[in-house]
Amino acid sequence: MRGPLRALAAASAVLALGLTAACGDSGGVGGAQDAAQETAGPGQTVTLDYWTWFPPEATLKETIGAFEKNNPHIRIRLREFEAADYQKQLPLALNGGESLDIVGVQVAAMTNTVREQLRPVDSWQAELPAGWRDRLNGQMVDQTAGIAEDDTLYSVPMGSIGSAVMYSNAALLTELGIPFPGTAAELRTAVGKIKKAKPGVTPVVFQGDPFWQEEMLFTIAGQTDPKLSDRIAAGQAKWNDPAVVEALKSYKSLFDDGVVDTSVLSLKGSRPAELFNSGKAAFLVDGSWQSSLLSASYRKANKIGLTDVGAGAFPVVRDGGRPAARGLAEGGLAIPKSSQHVAEAAAFIEYMTLGDGVSQWSKDLVLVPALDGFTVDSSVLTTKAAREGYQAVQDVIAADGSARNSNQAFLNQVEGNTILDVLRGQTTPEKAADKLQVEWASGRYTQK
Amino acid sequence: MTQHSTGGRVHTARPPAAARPRRRRAARALLPAAVFLAPLLLFYGVYYLYAFGFLADMSTKQTSLSFTDVTDVGLANFRLVLTDPAFHTALLNNLLFAAVSIAAALTLGFFLAVALASGVRLRRFFYAVFLLPSLIPLSLFATVFGRMLETDDGAVNAALRAVGLDSLTQDWLGSTGPAYSALFVLLVYLVGLPVMYYTSDLTTLNTSVLESAMIDGAGAGQIYRLILFPMLRNTHKTVILSVLLMSFRAFDVVYFSTDGEPGGRTQITGTYLYNTMLGAGRVGYASAAAVIVLLVALAISAVQILVQRRSAR
Repeated sequence: MRGPLRALAAASAVLALGLTAACGDSGGVGGAQDAAQETAGPGQTVTLDYWTWFPPEATLKETIGAFEKNNPHIRIRLREFEAADYQKQLPLALNGGESLDIVGVQVAAMTNTVREQLRPVDSWQAELPAGWRDRLNGQMVDQTAGIAEDDTLYSVPMGSIGSAVMYSNAALLTELGIPFPGTAAELRTAVGKIKKAKPGVTPVVFQGDPFWQEEMLFTIAGQTDPKLSDRIAAGQAKWNDPAVVEALKSYKSLFDDGVVDTSVLSLKGSRPAELFNSGKAAFLVDGSWQSSLLSASYRKANKIGLTDVGAGAFPVVRDGGRPAARGLAEGGLAIPKSSQHVAEAAAFIEYMTLGDGVSQWSKDLVLVPALDGFTVDSSVLTTKAAREGYQAVQDVIAADGSARNSNQAFLNQVEGNTILDVLRGQTTPEKAADKLQVEWASGRYTQK
Repeated sequence: MTQHSTGGRVHTARPPAAARPRRRRAARALLPAAVFLAPLLLFYGVYYLYAFGFLADMSTKQTSLSFTDVTDVGLANFRLVLTDPAFHTALLNNLLFAAVSIAAALTLGFFLAVALASGVRLRRFFYAVFLLPSLIPLSLFATVFGRMLETDDGAVNAALRAVGLDSLTQDWLGSTGPAYSALFVLLVYLVGLPVMYYTSDLTTLNTSVLESAMIDGAGAGQIYRLILFPMLRNTHKTVILSVLLMSFRAFDVVYFSTDGEPGGRTQITGTYLYNTMLGAGRVGYASAAAVIVLLVALAISAVQILVQRRSAR
């Protein structure tokens, strides 16, 4: 009888030790060190593990294929995630000791959750061509570095995104003789014409999700106070400042004036884009990441029936305002400390940010490339509305607006819901602004 | 075994000699079971104990998912969670949704189970109708339901308009009352699990009692209320406990249907934790909230067990 008990105790101890060892093997909390480098011998192939959420897999595979053709000694093993899932998976994997060579970083949302596990770009920039920084948009590089709590550059930005911008069913507007609206008054006129001529078409759609309400609020606020969002994030302005209250009033005026119906707020996730793509909505307000819609080949490949799509800045709501959008560097490429192939990883990052890879992935128009002087292939934008629309989106993102940098927890828990309450008439802009400030200062939401 | 005191010291009397071999035999019989179960129990214990310990430890820290920037903040996270109005709303909603689910289970679930067990026509079809939501992934079910609630293109308002009830169409996600109503409907429609519990226990009932009642002239209502309902007392307890604890795991139901709208007022603790976790430096705060939710759930379970024991006596 004692035998089995001893065996059981021994097995338990081995299991417990095994579990402990497994935890310890991951490096534990904060245990990541720069991995030693492996040198590939002549004729040997190096396989790089690349995790990301962007660009779309089909585009990325094509881009990687072209890279591998020119670099036969390097193979890329790609794993692609859904964007929100990636924000959680990557930090856990890197902290758990996963050996990765290249990782995509959502600059605003992820830099500070993974930076401890990444090699600063300074530590491997010798692998990049001399003067590489000067070939990239300086503002994007500065934003990528500035987002980190220690103001260090951990990833090389691929491009930038901005929001909110507005896409139009250009064919429908042409049919009804409606120009792309530049002001809320012009938008109101357009909406009236669309309602009259096409009763089955919703004039303006956008996401009713709480997170999107910040994009709308600060786009409108930015038209008269471009740096308001930045100042609030930096603690230089309060949420109940008159500028925020005015922005809330202006945003609500779109609903009060009949430009947008509150029923639009019940549209979640991809539903507004679905309605727009199927011709059931005339204007789609979204981020610049929807610019793929401007490409006829993208629409054909994705079975989107619209014959022509235009774009532009969101109409100016308040008198004396100028078109605005918040923008930020996005899609940074970084090398984790766990990589044993820094030189090869740097070669791939160079290809994706400074080399021929840019023209491959940029065809999707999701990001405005960080590579200075880059222009999209003329075959991508085939109509006047598409070309002018893409230029207008680029221009408004490049304008000196605030950074698109949100406090995710505050946004999802408090801010979005409070703005929605204003839009639905369940609270006043003044009370909403006071509530936002009280919660912001509560200590529940850490700020950089 | 008895105890007696001598000069202030407590002695435990040895069991009689005849009892000792019996106990040895019993212990010997238990050993194989213990050997087979031990690895699983050990793994289970280590896995859960480690997880709970880690959660409790993190609840006193401020850190992000990388766990590299850990700052000790003591009980500050607990204070912040406990003073958050959104957390209070989420916790109350948990209890409210649990109450609605329990009420639906003990009334509609019980009635449906008995009605279906009595051999109504199309019984299999109705079983499928009521069990299907409990058998398919809740996230899928709730997503479809959420899509049905859209104001302009949603199936719910479209159906109301189609039958001339335009005045009943609602902005389901934009008003508090309709949003709660929509969630209640969803929770009530998940009555399939209680129906299964009742159905399985109904097969074990002594039918002679029912026959006697019918001979004595009892009506259907009396049989339901005075005979069947009391006879399924133990099933009610199982149903209450399972539905109550299930309400603490109803994340997918709320997240994929109303997502806490409007204004976070239909949020439950699960969606609160998820939203709280997003962003940098949030792990400690979310851990503190999780610990509080865990303690509340444990307290409810403890009360439940105490009440059950008392009623069993």
